[in-house]
Amino acid sequence: MSREALQESLSAVMDNEADELELRRVLNAIDDADTRATWSRYQIARAAMHKELLMPHLDISAAVSAAIADEVSPLKAGRGPWRTLGRLAVAASVTVAVLAGVRLYNQDEIAGAQLAQQSAQPANIAMPQVKGPAVLAGYTESNDQTPGPMASGVLQNQAGWHDQRLPGYLRQHAQQAALKGTESALPYARAASLENR
Amino acid sequence: MRAIRLLPLLLGGWLVLPAHADDAQDQLKRLAQAEQQQSFQGTFVYERNGSFSTHRIWHRVADGKVREHLLQLDGSAQEVLRVDGMTQCVSGTLVAGVSNIPDSPGHGFDAAKLSSWYDIKVAGDSRVAGRPAVVVTLTPRDQHRFGIELHLDKETGLPLKSLLLSDKGQLLERFQFTEFNTAAPTDQALEPSGDCKQVEVAKAKPEAQKPAVAWHSDWLPPGFELSGAAARKDPDSKALVTSLMYDDGLARFSVFIEPVSGAAVTDIRTQLGPTVAVSRRLTTPKGDAMVTVVGEIPIGTAERIALSMRNGDAAPPAAAKK
Repeated sequence: MSREALQESLSAVMDNEADELELRRVLNAIDDADTRATWSRYQIARAAMHKELLMPHLDISAAVSAAIADEVSPLKAGRGPWRTLGRLAVAASVTVAVLAGVRLYNQDEIAGAQLAQQSAQPANIAMPQVKGPAVLAGYTESNDQTPGPMASGVLQNQAGWHDQRLPGYLRQHAQQAALKGTESALPYARAASLENR
Repeated sequence: MRAIRLLPLLLGGWLVLPAHADDAQDQLKRLAQAEQQQSFQGTFVYERNGSFSTHRIWHRVADGKVREHLLQLDGSAQEVLRVDGMTQCVSGTLVAGVSNIPDSPGHGFDAAKLSSWYDIKVAGDSRVAGRPAVVVTLTPRDQHRFGIELHLDKETGLPLKSLLLSDKGQLLERFQFTEFNTAAPTDQALEPSGDCKQVEVAKAKPEAQKPAVAWHSDWLPPGFELSGAAARKDPDSKALVTSLMYDDGLARFSVFIEPVSGAAVTDIRTQLGPTVAVSRRLTTPKGDAMVTVVGEIPIGTAERIALSMRNGDAAPPAAAKK
């Protein structure tokens, strides 16, 4: 991850305008001393711009971490395997809580948990077909119901450059795949479906 | 750390059903050979978000030659004729920059290789197009590819139905035969219509065709390798567009890199059925470039690939293997 991209993301998080990927990027990098220093500098700059009061070197994160570490776990008394299970449950519930708040995409834990579920019950894989022909391939849950910009198969609301370029790139990818694809008629069908606009 | 805690769960899941794994691999091996050995014809539907179409396929294996004719039955008459994997003619126009170089023989379904990236299992029996089929699921082992559910014909081993599933289990696309039989198609059925335009067949070996491409990727999802690279002048913008294609034996994505200057071009993330497109503007010492990743991979992965493209002389890690 480039320094520049991270700083942009930091700035976006501070302005409450970060998207999910940016937020994840920042959360991943926040243990790094440089990142924390940058964050601190941005806070000062922001406070100055907004004429707010700020204690420049106030960092309560260490104290919070220490408090969490000191806290007596109610499961500590339990036996070995149950403690592990308890930790797992805590990790899982934290994941759920984080998800409920931010709906992070591509979370490793989710992929892992789903993989585990699917391994245990392969029949599940056949299940989750959404009813109706227009199955939407959105990438957040909220997209399940509302059609996205591509729902009609036509690019909408995109800037001029993307209007010109993206359809061409999509077709080039599909056609190249169809020409290479000897395994089945699937790449051909994908390419053909792009011509049906 | 959290991943390590979940490891027992993962391993537990795999150990519960070790039985049919070999069986599933055998099914895929059979599939890899079936198209080279079995004549068939049939009608199939293709469905993805915003598109539903019906197609006819004629596939004949005779004297070691494989002839395949595909025709869209509704809307415009999209048509393709292939002989031994080489595309002979297509209706409509090919986008400039598409090269007609098929993968080397033996590429395609490699069950052993695929099992490194997918958990391959037999999930039961089904019935497609009036024929008994066996269901094989390919569940990705990481978050960098989609899951696939194949329904393979019990008699021939050919895929009668293929579903692409997101990590949330949403159906991204459906390929499914509605009618299928193993009668060899007639010469007449394999004859393309007059609208099918000849495609120039590249004679040179793929290795010789690969030009030096200045761009490479710092990071690729595990298992993906460079399968093609090209650089061409765009007729409209006169800009040099670099295109790279990668695959893991099943999923594919392309990377397009085009220099941009001045104009405010926004980043973009979008998804069309199974295909995602992510555009990011990258700043390099030689100027800004728009990097667009298009492919059948999760959008987060496409984003990461786009951000990992570098312009430099370092040897491309994936190309070095080939």
